[in-house]
Amino acid sequence: MCATLTDTARDRERQDETTLRERIAANPEPAIAWSLVAVALIGLEFGAFIAGLLLVVDSAVIAVTALIEVTVGLVSPSASESIVGIQQAASGTLDGFRSTANSLPTLLSRETIPNQGYKTGPNGPWENTFLGLEPAVAWAIRAALVYAYAAFVSFWAFRGWKIFRANYRQSDWTPRDDVIDRLDGHRWAQFGIIVVLIFTTMALFAPALGPTTVEQNIQSPYSHELQYFDAEDGEVRTALVGDANFNSKSKGNGEQNVGPMTYDDFGRFHPFGTLTNGRDLFTFAVMGARISLTVSALSMAIAGLIAIVMSLASAYYKGIVDLAAILSADGITSIPQLLLLLMVAMAFQGHWLSDVFNGGFLLALVFGFTGWPGLWRAVRGPALQVSEEEWIDAARSFGQRPSVTMRKHMLPYVLPYLLIYGSMAVGGIIIALSALSFIGSGLGINPPTPAWGRAISMGREYVSTQSWHIALIPGVLIVVLVTGLNAFGDGIRDAIDPESEGGAEEEAAAGGTAG
Amino acid sequence: MNKLLYIAKRLLLGIPVVLFGLTMTFVIIYLSPFDPMTAILGRDSDPETARQLAIALGLRNPDGSPVPLWIQYKDFLVETITFNFGQSWVVTRGQPVGALVWERMPATVWLGFWSVLIALIFGIPLGLYAGLRSNTWGDYTASFGGIVWRAMPNFWLAVMLAGLLSAGGALSFYRGFLIPTDVIGTSDAIGALFGGFTPISSLEWLRIPVPNLYNWAAGFKWILPAALVLGSSSMGNEVRIGRTAVLESINAPYIDTAKAKGLSTRSIIGKHVARNAMIPLLPVIMGEFYLLIGGSVLVELIFGIRGLGNLFLSAIFASDVPIIGALTYVFILIIVFFNIAQDIAYTIIDPRIGLEGGNE
Repeated sequence: MCATLTDTARDRERQDETTLRERIAANPEPAIAWSLVAVALIGLEFGAFIAGLLLVVDSAVIAVTALIEVTVGLVSPSASESIVGIQQAASGTLDGFRSTANSLPTLLSRETIPNQGYKTGPNGPWENTFLGLEPAVAWAIRAALVYAYAAFVSFWAFRGWKIFRANYRQSDWTPRDDVIDRLDGHRWAQFGIIVVLIFTTMALFAPALGPTTVEQNIQSPYSHELQYFDAEDGEVRTALVGDANFNSKSKGNGEQNVGPMTYDDFGRFHPFGTLTNGRDLFTFAVMGARISLTVSALSMAIAGLIAIVMSLASAYYKGIVDLAAILSADGITSIPQLLLLLMVAMAFQGHWLSDVFNGGFLLALVFGFTGWPGLWRAVRGPALQVSEEEWIDAARSFGQRPSVTMRKHMLPYVLPYLLIYGSMAVGGIIIALSALSFIGSGLGINPPTPAWGRAISMGREYVSTQSWHIALIPGVLIVVLVTGLNAFGDGIRDAIDPESEGGAEEEAAAGGTAG
Repeated sequence: MNKLLYIAKRLLLGIPVVLFGLTMTFVIIYLSPFDPMTAILGRDSDPETARQLAIALGLRNPDGSPVPLWIQYKDFLVETITFNFGQSWVVTRGQPVGALVWERMPATVWLGFWSVLIALIFGIPLGLYAGLRSNTWGDYTASFGGIVWRAMPNFWLAVMLAGLLSAGGALSFYRGFLIPTDVIGTSDAIGALFGGFTPISSLEWLRIPVPNLYNWAAGFKWILPAALVLGSSSMGNEVRIGRTAVLESINAPYIDTAKAKGLSTRSIIGKHVARNAMIPLLPVIMGEFYLLIGGSVLVELIFGIRGLGNLFLSAIFASDVPIIGALTYVFILIIVFFNIAQDIAYTIIDPRIGLEGGNE
């Protein structure tokens, strides 16, 4: 698929190529114009970018040390304790950097466009909100700006690729150009891409999107205060957020319901209404998107890695390796994934591993180790196909190391298929993840960390009442996201391999876990 | 003869899969941080009781030394495979697990039967329809409906439907419609589907069960919402696969030949298109059983059906290892059985599939 992967310095010399740097130096204008805007875009959100990067590094540190600790813990418990110490120290330092980064002003932060304020009189102006606007309007402006920014960044990134293609790429044409061109008229794929972008933006900008923050409204509502205009007394009062939540519950009947797009008695705006415990559903849902997407992306990375290694090894060596792969895949899939997940969740209940990332890390591991057979089945065919090619034989005959052959000559061919099936299987993971959180009782994401499934579980008894929004909205989010992911997978399949039509394996991948 | 050999080979290949599945269950339960002693006794227990329990569970020898892991593994395998599941620890303490599974089986089988059937009845014709009228509004509606229907999480659909059916909901009339039935909970009807047995004329030992039609109707009406939910994702799959399969076979040259021969559209569709479209549909239909077992856990939880899925969930909450082991074994057997059945069905539907290379 992508010949560029195999380029080495010597190849380039032989083909009389220049480096990207030289090509840019020869014709700098388009690159400079593009970079100026790109730098400006990053500058607007610089603090958030750095904080996000640090968060990724922090998570990686915790995950890696956790894995090391489990392995070492099997041998010596004392060594594993010292690793926990290192983990805490490293993570603490990173947290310090992160709070510094977070304090840098950014355009799309709650501080720049605040929506939490209070009225000073019955009809009086709002205090502490952006330009004295109503909280709903202030929040809508911020949310619209976030999405406008995200849309522009995506557009600019795509434009960057186009500029590169037009001005700096060595070859006039690569197969990937055709892939992109085929997406041009593919409405269904475009729908998928847009849905995926919307949810990715939601996950990335979760703290800025919510009308309130998880910390304030959900994690520790009794350590935060708010001011509101008390209509009965006619004056501005102060209350604890927890008490305000207590009086803003959605419990079905008319007295106790804060529906979507309404204010509660404390002058707080709730775009999706409130939960049964009075917390803000929108804040809960966007944070839930962040958690769902992170866990499923991590699971997919693990499953994809195992699937690729297994498929390449079994296609290259065949025979006993292939048989072993078949047997272990069949063995794992002989237990329905949901049951396997339930068993593992039970086994690790109360174990410290189930606390890393509020339970998300363990779930990602389990999804990864139970999800690879589905992906492996999907990429095994292409892997076997490419292993029959003459160039593999040629590589073997001149003594290329098997790992190099697999990486350079087989992987590029197999990878696109992994992308297709992966994007379809992610939907299954998102559904299974929310199913576990729905069941609750120590399974799924630990409360009070937001999870879509838990919101549905809370709203279970109120479906036919005024508080219908609690169960409906998170469910609709899941349906839209999963539909979008399937459309995205369909689209790249059509773009990469226009001959193919949906086959049984990918449908199995798409509906892999019954949640 | 060749076919018999193939079936025998396929059955043989099922054995390591069952063993692997059981081994994984053992690893998860016995090698993980999970502690069965705490699960049964709670955290602060009397050491003497704990000692006796450990002996009873086969974790320790009577002299107090721990039983080696491989013996525990061997015991687990042998007892599970011989259907000697032992007694429940927590859920219904002391009851033999085998009896418990047997008692909960009918509700799950009834649910599974109808969810597969409903998905087939709606899904396949819709898929054929969409394929035969490709790129019309009817096709778009059916395809898009199938896609969205498939993307809906079972548990969410179940929550919404159960909510609408409950008192005060938009569909609350359903409970009193024609035959009064409950929607949440387990109906007594499925326990009494057959009223008795009539002997066939002179053959005393051959008896035909007499179906109790009222209970069949009541049982069907009771299970319909749950079966609709459980069959939802398979139905979406069937619509989509059916559509592509029809599109593929309708453009095949043999269809042109059939047209040129002057065959009626009806027989072209019935004999050539639909039949060939069944080939890719087969794994989807068989895959339904797989989805069904996982999905039954949630659907039974929400609709309050006392079936195997619900039992599995209670066993998970209570850490009742014998029930978990027994149910996992039963589920593995079902899945392996349907996998083999699928491969055999393939060779019947599509004779091109070689009997030698059938194990993919």
